[in-house]
Amino acid sequence: MKKGLIITLPKSDLVTEYLSYFSEEIVSEAENKDVDLKRLTENEVNKDNFEKVLSKLDYNFIVFNGHGTSTSIKGHKEEILVEEGNNEIILKDRIIFARSCESGASLGIASVTKSKGCFIGYEMPFVFYADGNWDSIPGKDEVARLFLEPSNLVAISILKGHTAKEAHETAKRQTIKNIKKALRMEPQDAYFVVPGLWNNYESQVLHGNPKIDLNSV
Amino acid sequence: MKKDYNSKESAEVTEKMRELVLAKIDAQIPSNLRLFIGNLAQNMNKEEIMNHVRNDDEIGKQIVAIHIKFMKAVANGHLIKAINSV
Repeated sequence: MKKGLIITLPKSDLVTEYLSYFSEEIVSEAENKDVDLKRLTENEVNKDNFEKVLSKLDYNFIVFNGHGTSTSIKGHKEEILVEEGNNEIILKDRIIFARSCESGASLGIASVTKSKGCFIGYEMPFVFYADGNWDSIPGKDEVARLFLEPSNLVAISILKGHTAKEAHETAKRQTIKNIKKALRMEPQDAYFVVPGLWNNYESQVLHGNPKIDLNSV
Repeated sequence: MKKDYNSKESAEVTEKMRELVLAKIDAQIPSNLRLFIGNLAQNMNKEEIMNHVRNDDEIGKQIVAIHIKFMKAVANGHLIKAINSV
């Protein structure tokens, strides 16, 4: 296994557009830290290509953006990339961050069985809110940023050399900081935003080896 | 284990709770904001959110569960404890 990051960037609906757009901060951090990086974008985010790239590069860190279920992670146009009982073995011994709904509930647990790796994800649906005035320019959407910035911190912390446990806790702390920030916003916005942030805070889980870091190859 | 919105937690949701969530959404959600919930729903505006809650469909159940969970966290002190920890 080699030190490096594979990140999936599907863009087949507005959810994946937002996730991929905000993932550019993760990509920038990888470039700043000179971490070997492979982006899989749009149509490249399919099962055959993902398995081929992973097999060839054998990088130890994977960030998934996309839809998911308790037993699967999906790619572009919701094609299943990893599925419990099928190919979760390909995640073994790696650092996995899955920004996808519910995959932390069952797939995440299965993927770290007899593994030195870890799985950070969400055991319930990942929720976010966005300002409809900015859906064509997600980067200017400060409401969506409240949700997506903390989750970016999981990957960014790993890239900075922190352990899985530290990355997990940093992201959770930032979610709480954003709750505090939201509570100082106009009351209308606060009510809408805070329950969603709390949902993501409670739902974010770490399975497997909490001490693994990017240099554990 | 997975937390299933459609079983135990939802069973605790009474009609009064649903009405409370609806009233708060109606009074407090700005019209420009959009809600995205996982695979099920994206880009929902206020009216669409309220319709799902009224219809008590899968999306509506999730919306109510998210709000009830938050209200419980406020009531049992978990939220304030988390806020005071950072």
